[in-house]
Amino acid sequence: MRPPARSSSAPQRNGFRKPRRERDDKTPRKKRTCRFCDAKEIYIDYKDEKRLQRFVTEQGKIIPKRITGTCAKHQRQLVQAIKRARQLAMLPFVSDSIR
Amino acid sequence: MDNIHRLYETTFIVNASLDDPQVDAVITRMQDTITKNGGTVKALNKWGRKRLAYTINKKTNGFYVNIEFTAPAGAPNALERFYQLDEMILRHLTIIVDKRALKARAAVAAAVQPAEAVPAQALPAQAVPAAREPLFTETAEEKKKE
Repeated sequence: MRPPARSSSAPQRNGFRKPRRERDDKTPRKKRTCRFCDAKEIYIDYKDEKRLQRFVTEQGKIIPKRITGTCAKHQRQLVQAIKRARQLAMLPFVSDSIR
Repeated sequence: MDNIHRLYETTFIVNASLDDPQVDAVITRMQDTITKNGGTVKALNKWGRKRLAYTINKKTNGFYVNIEFTAPAGAPNALERFYQLDEMILRHLTIIVDKRALKARAAVAAAVQPAEAVPAQALPAQAVPAAREPLFTETAEEKKKE
């Protein structure tokens, strides 16, 4: 059986994507920079759960780098740290509000 | 290759319903396993009782303990076996402290004690001839010397 078709006209993406807006060339695009590069961080620690929390949605999903502006190198480290923190029950796999 | 000692870091969650002396008993048992397998404990951090982000074995709280140690390659496997046998330990995680982490710590140490940091940076270049070595525990040994 096929799932019923969504009633809303705009198909829902994975919840992260911002609505597309027409951009005029005059306004300069705001440059996002990697917070870890700015702070000259070498290592992202899994024990620093408060910091990691900012890179996770309310549901507990890891926020993609295209939203946070984190560079690829630091995003890889961040992901590893978050996954380690999850293993130790410092961060949720799925948050309580969803369960 | 037998005598290479790496710096490891292990964190585990002890059942928080135990009394403090019982928790301490678990911790000392852990430290014994490390030393028995040829390792040396460098640091022991008790983070204390914390709320778990999700329930583990129907428990919502746990006593977090973090131990840093240097050990030969077989030791983490032995630890793993120990963890699985011990029912009072809810979760565990053992990782190699990688060179980035060591670098970050050195940077922090340098900021705190600029005078002592200079010899610490000068040492590894002489002490480590092989290219593969930097992953291992020179910084830990340096700390010991200081």
